[in-house]
This record gives sequence, C-alpha cells and structure tokens, in this order.
Amino acid sequence: MNTEMTTFSHVARDALAAADLGDLRDKVLLGQRLSFEDGMRLFECRDIAAVGALANHVRERLHGDLTYFNRNLHVNATNVCEANCIFCSFARLKTGDKDAYTMTIDQAVGRVRALKDELVTEVHIVNGLNPDVPFSYYTDLLRAIKEERPDIHIKGFTAVEIAYYAEKYDMTVRGVLEALVEAGLGSLPGGGAEIFATRARKKLCADKVDADGWLGVHRIAHQMGLRSNCTMLFGHIEKTEERVDHLLRLRGLQDETRGFQTFIPLAFHNENNRLQRLPGPTGHDSLRTLAVARLMLDNIPHIKAYWPMLGVKLAQISLSFGVNDLDGTVREERIYHMAGAKTPQELTRADLVELIRRAGRIPVERDTHYNVICEA
Amino acid sequence: MRKTIASVGYLNAWPLTSKIDRSQFRLIADHPSAVARMLEDGVVDLALVPVASVLGGKDLRVLPGYAIGADGPVHSVLVVAETPMEQWTELVLDGSSRTSAMLAKLLVAGPWKAHLRDDLVVREVEAGTGVHTARGTVASLVIGDAARDLPERLSVRVDLAEAWKAWTGLPFVFAVWAGRPDLDIDVRGSVREAGRQGVDAIDADYVGEEHRYLTQNLRYTFDDRAMMGLRRFAALARKAGLAKTDEIKLYGPPLKLVKRATDLDTLLDKGAKGERLTFDEGVRLQKEATISDLGAAADLRRQDLHPGDDVTYIISRNVNYTNVCVVACKFCAFYRPKKHGEAYVLSRDQMAAKFDELVACGGIEVLLQGGLHPELKIEWYEDLFKWIKAGWPLALHALSPEEIYHIGTVSNLDLRTVIARLIAAGMDSIPGGGAEILDDEIRKKIAPLKSSTDEWLECMRQAHKLGLRSSSTMMMGVGETAEHRVKHLLRLRDLQDETGGFTAFICWTFVPDNTYVKPSGNTAADYLRTNAVSRLFLDNIKNVQASWVTQGPGVAQAALHMGANDYGSVMLEENVVSAAGSTFAMTIDEVERHIRAAGFVPVRRNMRYDHVGGALTVGRVNEIRLA
Repeated sequence: MNTEMTTFSHVARDALAAADLGDLRDKVLLGQRLSFEDGMRLFECRDIAAVGALANHVRERLHGDLTYFNRNLHVNATNVCEANCIFCSFARLKTGDKDAYTMTIDQAVGRVRALKDELVTEVHIVNGLNPDVPFSYYTDLLRAIKEERPDIHIKGFTAVEIAYYAEKYDMTVRGVLEALVEAGLGSLPGGGAEIFATRARKKLCADKVDADGWLGVHRIAHQMGLRSNCTMLFGHIEKTEERVDHLLRLRGLQDETRGFQTFIPLAFHNENNRLQRLPGPTGHDSLRTLAVARLMLDNIPHIKAYWPMLGVKLAQISLSFGVNDLDGTVREERIYHMAGAKTPQELTRADLVELIRRAGRIPVERDTHYNVICEA
Repeated sequence: MRKTIASVGYLNAWPLTSKIDRSQFRLIADHPSAVARMLEDGVVDLALVPVASVLGGKDLRVLPGYAIGADGPVHSVLVVAETPMEQWTELVLDGSSRTSAMLAKLLVAGPWKAHLRDDLVVREVEAGTGVHTARGTVASLVIGDAARDLPERLSVRVDLAEAWKAWTGLPFVFAVWAGRPDLDIDVRGSVREAGRQGVDAIDADYVGEEHRYLTQNLRYTFDDRAMMGLRRFAALARKAGLAKTDEIKLYGPPLKLVKRATDLDTLLDKGAKGERLTFDEGVRLQKEATISDLGAAADLRRQDLHPGDDVTYIISRNVNYTNVCVVACKFCAFYRPKKHGEAYVLSRDQMAAKFDELVACGGIEVLLQGGLHPELKIEWYEDLFKWIKAGWPLALHALSPEEIYHIGTVSNLDLRTVIARLIAAGMDSIPGGGAEILDDEIRKKIAPLKSSTDEWLECMRQAHKLGLRSSSTMMMGVGETAEHRVKHLLRLRDLQDETGGFTAFICWTFVPDNTYVKPSGNTAADYLRTNAVSRLFLDNIKNVQASWVTQGPGVAQAALHMGANDYGSVMLEENVVSAAGSTFAMTIDEVERHIRAAGFVPVRRNMRYDHVGGALTVGRVNEIRLA
C-alpha cells in the first residue's frame, strides 16, 4: 500500500461525515473488514457520492487508475431450459416451444469461425438446462471450438449448469468439471448465483441448485485450480439483508479458496418475464450496489460493471464507484436483450478505450485471467 | 548495481538494443540458445529471447511495447529446397532456432500437410549447415544471413512468416524481451524507452539493404495483433506438445497509485464552502480533480444551498412552433429549409391541442421554441402569446436569443424593444438554450451563423434588466477544452454578478447522430465532472439541473448527489434532441420514481424554481425502497 493513498481528500472526508459514515472511513483506511451491519448501513445510505468515494478509495488502492476490458464472444448454444425461473426472459421450457432453439455443434462453432481473424480472446458460454441433449454435446462443443481457435479461452457453464449435468448424467460435480476441462474448458462464469437466501431463491428460481450447491461447485472448481467469477442478481424481490448475506457468503468461500477473480452485480430487467410488475433497480441503486460490493468483498480482486446491462453511460461513471473492469466488446448478448436491455450489443475496442480514458482511467486489455494483452 | 541484459546479436535486434544506456546496464550479446539459458539460469535480469523460451513453463514475464516480429514475408526465415514441397522426403530443422523449428513443425502438421508426402521425415540437427543439407528431395530450414544469400539451385523458398500469415491472418512474433516477474519497473521502463528510440531512429541509423529489411520485413510493434499472433502460436505449440505452457504473461502496466496534489484539496474546500474560485482554479479542478472528489465537494455545496430532501422538477411541453430555419447549425438535426417537404409552422388548432393536453396532466409552463423563420414578424409572436395567455393558465418560457435577434432583424426593431414588446404580450422567461459553448472559437466552428458570445450574453443582459428570468446552459462535447468550459462558466458568473437574472444552470452533452459535428468529450464522465465543477464555480447561481434527457435517468440520479438539485422537466414533447437520436424518455411517474429512488422527495416547481406543489404520484408499491 502506498502512503499517499492512506488519506482521503478533505471534501471526501467531510462528505463521509455528513453521510454519517465517518467510522467506516476509518475502518477502510485501516484495512479492517466490514461487518454485516456495515453492509446494511452502506446499502441504506442514500448519499452515493459518499459511498462512492469510499469505494473509489479501495479501488484506487488496489488498482490505481488501471481499468480492464477484454474482447469476447457470447455463445448461448441453447435456450431450452427445464428450470422455470420467474425473472428469466431467455429460456424456453421445452424443445419445440415458440422461439426455442438448440444450435448444432457446427452452428455454435460457426459463431467462432465467423470471427475470422478478429482479436477475440474469450468465448463466454452459458446455456439453458436442456434435457434433450447428451453430455457429449457440451464436450463436443468445447473440442470443436478449441479446434477452430486453439488460442481462445473458453469460460463456460454456470454452477447451475454444472450441478444439473451432475444430476442428469449421474456424474459427480468433479467428474463433470474434469470432463469439461479435458475438452477445453478454461474457467467458470459467475452466473446462476442470483440471490442465495432461501426465501428469495425459492420464489425466484426454485428449480435451480441452492446456495450451498452453487458455492459447492465453485469450491470444487477452485480446488481443481480453475478460476471463476461470481454474481448477484439484484433489484427484484430481495431484501437488503439478503444482498449483504449474499456478499458475505461469497466472501466466506473466497477466504477458503481464493478462486474468485471478479464479482459482477447483475441488475434485474423486467421485460418479457413474469416480474413485469417490478420496475427494476434505478441507476442509483446499481451504482450503490457496485460500490458496496467493492467495500464488502475485500478479498475479491476485481469488480466488473457489465455494460450491456447497465448501459454505457452508467458503466463509465461506475469507474468512480469502485469498478475496475468494464467487461468486453460483447457480441450477440441474448439474455439481457431478451429482457429488454436497450444497450448496443457491441462496443468497439476504440469505443471502450475512449470511455475509459475520458473517465480519467488507464485502459488495459486483459485476457480471462487478467493477464495483460495490451496496454491500450 | 548495474543490471545485466542479454540479447541476440543479429541485425534484427539492433533497433531494440542499440539505444540501451551502457552506463546504466551491462549488455551481453550471444546466440539465441545461450541467451535463453542465461535467462533461465538467472544470470541476466532481462533478455531478448526467441519466443520458444517463454513457452518452456518457467515463470517469466514478457515486456510489452516492442518485439521482433513480421506481418508477412520476413525473408530471413525460410525452408529451402531444390524440389517442390510435394516431393520432399526429408525436412531438416536447424536446432539453433527453436522458435523457427517449432513454427516449421506446426506448418508441416497444419496447412502444409495436404501437400506433403505422408512419409516425410522431419529431422532436427544440432546447429545449422542448412544450405548444404538442402539437396534433392531434402528441404532445410535456413535462418539469418544465410537465408539472404542463397545459391541459385535452391529455387524453392518458403518464407515461414509469410506462411504463418496466410494460415492465421496474424503477425508472427520471433523474439520478445522477457525477465523475472519481480524485475524493477525502472528497468522495464528504460528498455522499453530504448526500444522506442531505436525503432524511431531506424530511418536515420540504417541505409540500403539493412534499412529495407528492418522496415519492410520486420515489425517491432508489440500490439494487440502481435500478441494475438503470439498467443495463437503458443496454443498450437502446446497442443502439438512442443510447448509446456500457452499462457503468455506480460508485465502489467505500472500501478501508479493515485497521487493527490494537496493544493487541489484547498481548491475543493473553497468550492465546497462556496468561496469564489478563479478561472485558473476552475480549470485545475476541471482537469485534475477526480470525479469522486468533485462529486463530494459539489454535494457538500448543494447541501448548503438546498438543505433537506426536496428535489424539484417541472412538467412542461416543448412546442416547436416551426422547424423552418435560415441558419444551418452543424449540430442540429431538427431544422428544415422553408421549401423542404418536411418544413412546417404549427397552426393554432395544432397548438391548442397541445396546450390542452399539457394543462390536463398538471403542466403549468410551455417551452416555446422554433427555428428562425424568414417571414414571421413580431406581430405574429405578439398575437400568439396573447392568444396563449388568454386561453390557458400556462407560463410562457419562450424563445432563444437567436430567435429574439432574428425577430428584431425581420421586424426591423432593436433588441430592447423586441424583448419589451414580447414581455408585454405575455412572455414570462427565456430558456437558456443556444448558449452551446460561450467561446467564439468553438461557436464559429460548430454554429458559424449563430449569435456571437457577446450577442448571446447581451440578449440575456437586456432580458434580465427588463425583469425577465432565464436559465443558462452549456452544451459540451464538441471538441472544446477544459479552458473553454470554465471560460463559459466564468462568462455566466460575471453576467450573473451584474444582473442576478439566471435562475439555474444546466449542462448537457452533445448528441451526435444525424449531424455533422464530430463529438469529442461528450461522455457521461465529462458530464458528471462538468456538472460538479459548475456547482462549485457558479457560486451565484442557485440551482443546478440534471439532464436525464441526454444522460439517462441513472446518471442524472448520480448528478443529484454530485451538485444538482433539480431533475429537469417531464417534457411532453421534445423534438430537438430526439431528432438527434437520444433515446431517453420518461413519464411523470418515472421521473418521480427516480427522484425517490435516489433518496429525495419529488416536488414540482415553476420556471422561477418556486415550489408549486408536491409529487403527483405515489411511489409504486412494489418498488424496492432501499433508500
């Protein structure tokens, strides 16, 4: 830690005092871990300039001005999904339902092939829980992608998918992971965590693996040397204490394994699903959630603002609210756009670099493991 | 202690090594394999090594910036033979260049496979006498000087970098700077800088054949494409069992911890307390302070000026009475020439319908703006205003300085008379639009036909002196500098000292679609920064309005916590910005929900910023109320 960073500006100090967060400023300065109650207070504080300043301090202590992005391709090979989650606009319950699709291996790989010599370093694969394909569908898919682009990193399959395969194909979680790694899997995305608390999880996604199951898959993955990300779906029916509880459970596993690279809070979108009565979180709540995550998750290195969800403008200003990663130039994102996200589906590398620079930060292109590809 | 750096001694390495300061570093030149060994054994701190050396599984880092590569034919790495590829029975690979040998093997197993005999033998030899072994159906890898002076009998010459490019579309990287993970950042910086100098000086330092080779065949830039080429090579080599790892680890960029200039603290404190900032101080804040600090300071200032939880907004309707305009501003997507098929002037009936709707949903003000119509004289406006005031309980927030000047020209009247007559006819206030950037350097560039800075200010001065109030605005993101922005604020502040007539300040960003001005600096970060600076700098203007129309509701919520105290208007109609592609639109219900969700209480106001009543809606029952 750098001594110049051990103080806040006077105005940040005064703003924190005015927001009644002076004691948390001291804790953050001393590098002390924040408690459940601290998390509650931060979520309940309306003064996001103050909460943001606190998170920004931690962000700059960890990363200075460095701001990461990558270039990736999203492939959602099937939207057929047995799970009936009420917030989902993407899934179709059965093969043959309207708009249900399952790509052939060749179609899915065609997406990768279509990249030609584009400088994409990662494929992000998330699928529905499709009862109509054999396990080999997934291993074949991984092998075919690696055959097409051997240098591409495959980040794929949420813990929910892994747990589903283990049950459906009568394998152990470790067995599933080993088979996928053998076929080319490089890391796990953080999806499917939604909200851990049983009350909310049962209402939202009773068919999904429960909190212990989700964490268990990541624990095993980490023990095998895989890295993964973690998420939280917020702004629907969850209570504030359930958000804090969620963050603390992630922090707990991270203390044990150190395998999480990045936390990505995901804002609920309400179109084309069964929660249309809920308006979804406003930008204020999204910024605050990113900032609180930065403060609570003291052992997770990176906080990512997923711009297809937040919008480019909010994602850019989140770089002053604890965020140090803007995700990638995402191509053909389907899940959020089917839920009504109005954001463009792709930003060019030049767009991202400019956004980061205008925010006063230093853009760095990374690969999945945060190795530097290029200083932009 | 002087650090030791090793490098291959070939010509192609010179641009990267020749400018290294010999008084600072000890430099060793040797064969590639020897250099690689020195690095592995820890004898040297940093070495320019063939890429094969960084794929051996040792924990090494690669220096970004410069490498030796080729994006097409390199001419110095060839497989040569007397006979075509289809006839080769043996391929001899020179062990002195492991990287080139690996590349040859990948090509043999990859794109060449279809052309080669199935029984081709690939043989690796210790060190090369490649030219001599290539005879008959025996092909041989030849590298370096030998490749540039081949006997005529070796008529088949396959350039490996060219073959790689044809296969992958990517550059090939032959050699990189690599070192231990903990190498001093200063060493990394010096060597990288020496590379920059050396590459920049190629034209001055080399002539003839050497110059041609270094500039046309080699590529020293280690950019994202080169990195991708290297990663592809590593992945293929790993898959073929030729490399132990395919993970290329670059030295990260320096983690420069943010160093806070302590005198900025003084300026932020001054601003937060409402003390007057000078132009230079404003520029420093605009340029140097973090958004986080500016936001905190502006929030403190806002809390002083507007204690409590109220955030105001106004229900208004933007009625664009005509789109005919004699001025063609480059940033405007709205105007049409008079003869254009889409040109219009609204009829009284059309306007009446709009006013009825506005009053029906709680509106108390109409924003009346239009283009500069060549034939509408002051009488037309006077009649219109009187008619509106007689028919509806609406305040008239009307006409930009451009329109007022234009009415004066068309009607042959001076500025003061025009304003006085319009006030007499019912005009209540003037919107502050059209200020753009109050600096003639910028105005001439983006709107050469509009009023000058002085004219704009003079119109506001006269209006204020005749008792009108107006808002003030800034449109940023048209290539202006921090100085331009602060100069703009300074001009508004000076006039406010004189007249006290500005009710509020609103900044927004240029929305570029369908217009001819190239945007620059029109991002949300520019907006938040300038919004906060304006709150600090404009110590004599009471209200700062957030612009959700251009920034979206979320960024505008953040602006409420970083200087703004007003959430703008619910516009029942907004033609100008939407013509340029802004997609944000909200209902009264949504505006109030966003104000509440940001932790405030929505209160309606009039254009003088007097509170005129509580919220019109109650928050939705199901809304998550965390604030």
